[in-house]
Amino acid sequence: MKKLAIYTTVLALCGGAFYAVSAAEQAAPAQPAPEAAKEVVCFESRKGASEVTQRDIKPGWPNVKCSPKTGAALWYGDPYDGTVPMGKMPGLDKIPEGHAVIKPRSEKLALMPMCGVSCHNGVGPQFSPPTLPKGKKPVPLPTMEAMVPDLKDLQHGRGRIWCMDCHHTTQRNKLVDHFGDPISFDQPQLLCGKCHGDKLRDWRDGIHGKRIGEFTSTGKKRWFTCTECHNPHNVQDGARNRGFVQLQPEPSPQLPRGMKDASHEKLHPIPH
Amino acid sequence: MTPNETLPTDPAKEQSSECPVPPMSADPAANVLKTSRRDFLKSGGALSLSSLMGTAALMSQSGDAEAAVEWAEHFQKNYRLMTPAEKAEARLRLEKRYSDEYGKKVSVDTTEAQPGVLMGYALNIRKCIGCRRCVHACVAENNQSRGTKRPGEKIEWIQVLRMERGKFEQEKMNHGYPEGLGIQVGGNAYTPAGAVLEGQYHYNPEKVPEADATYMPIACMQCEKPPCVKVCPVRTTYREADGPVVIDYNWCIGCKMCMNACPYWARRFNLTTPVLPKEEMNPVTHYLGNRPRMRGVVEKCHWCLQRTRHDRYPACVEVCPVGARKFGNLLDPESEVSKILERKNVFRLKAELNTFPKFFYFYD
Repeated sequence: MKKLAIYTTVLALCGGAFYAVSAAEQAAPAQPAPEAAKEVVCFESRKGASEVTQRDIKPGWPNVKCSPKTGAALWYGDPYDGTVPMGKMPGLDKIPEGHAVIKPRSEKLALMPMCGVSCHNGVGPQFSPPTLPKGKKPVPLPTMEAMVPDLKDLQHGRGRIWCMDCHHTTQRNKLVDHFGDPISFDQPQLLCGKCHGDKLRDWRDGIHGKRIGEFTSTGKKRWFTCTECHNPHNVQDGARNRGFVQLQPEPSPQLPRGMKDASHEKLHPIPH
Repeated sequence: MTPNETLPTDPAKEQSSECPVPPMSADPAANVLKTSRRDFLKSGGALSLSSLMGTAALMSQSGDAEAAVEWAEHFQKNYRLMTPAEKAEARLRLEKRYSDEYGKKVSVDTTEAQPGVLMGYALNIRKCIGCRRCVHACVAENNQSRGTKRPGEKIEWIQVLRMERGKFEQEKMNHGYPEGLGIQVGGNAYTPAGAVLEGQYHYNPEKVPEADATYMPIACMQCEKPPCVKVCPVRTTYREADGPVVIDYNWCIGCKMCMNACPYWARRFNLTTPVLPKEEMNPVTHYLGNRPRMRGVVEKCHWCLQRTRHDRYPACVEVCPVGARKFGNLLDPESEVSKILERKNVFRLKAELNTFPKFFYFYD
């Protein structure tokens, strides 16, 4: 009987604590203002290519979860956030209309909308056309190098290509195909496939590159285009080994019981 | 509401209400045993049971609903032997319990395998950069325990192994093997990268990928002949019809036999009560998938059943920044995985064990 009394006392105490906790929780949503003010933006594949802003689709269900350590997108609640249909692509006739979507980046990449208007419009009064150098060698222009730092050290094509092989001569916010027609920044695969045909085929069939959404072969997917993962100005870098820019890794797993660090992993079982 | 109401009263009726083709574990002996146990509990244990429940109801302020839920859960069958009605009941029970516990609307899916689907996975070992985003996406999706204080509180289903690259060297042309023992078994100019599959799990450089390393993520291989299923004494882990090997957590006794049997170190044990903060809990769950686990049960990768049963990619596939992870239907010749099997160089981890994984490693 005495024991039961003790139990009930303990329970009552616990209950009291529980009610205190729940009361605190009820009080907590009263100030969501600072949370709303702080916008969480995380990058997707590589830093600087595409970003997502975190928001709640419905209560407790965000469109994306971001890594607190690296700021990378770690989980997708809505894979089609901010996407548009990909447009025509040769060899993709089996996928239903609108089931291949991409996230447009042309707005973000068109850093200087005036580029194509003021200088590189092709109809300048003094030069005609004003943007075309005489030879096919890049001439270092301090203005351009200041605007796009990657230009100073182009790591693509091992010196065998130059700017105008990819960029349109007069429409600077477009890429260029074999016929001199402009290609949107949203469809870089049409340009990259000119040289990297094997990769284009693999990408088209889903073997190369990243897609999110539905896994069935006719399901709706968001396709990541070439430049969302690869920086075209910097694809061959000695410090890394797989054609992908280096980034910070996520935290390592918990150490086993009783271990202070993971130095044991660095020892070789076979001396050499 | 007493658990007795949910129990079948007529053994013959119970037999007939089960699926027409009983699964492997539905042997008649087990059924007989079960009914006799139930009868015993019904008649003999009813008094003590009700008195216990009464005490529980008196002592806890939340009323007897919670206690009844606990009891009903205690007496539920192996998931494969449950009738659709029992599954629906279990689902409602769990949804209510989780919603109360985590303070948000939690759904527990019980979608069955779709015919014509056999899930398969492929990983481009050449592309992996070892960033561990898949590991943490998996944790965000699958409600693993994420404590940091005590050992065993942080559970991750995917392991990423960092493996050194070995090399051949001119200076070592005359080295013997094994070294230091004076036995010459031939030249050994090779500097090994470690024994097979031995590598670092806890690597933590500033930036990945490192030039002198390769990375190999490992998780459950979803074998076609899974050794873990063979050894499970209570048959709570089994291969679903569309491929993944799943666990009915309620029926798991925590004997860890499956952990011993698995050659891929894929299974994790809830040594402590799982630490799962309310705000981080993923409310979209599947009964056999990512619903919150209890202490003392084994868990592992199930290819995000709550997503893949609804045609969504698994969470690890969606976050891989290099697109090394591929998932698809092996029975569909147009799927990504089928194309990889057709075109690329593919290997299975520890293929010599004849476990026939549906997880393939490939390279360009």
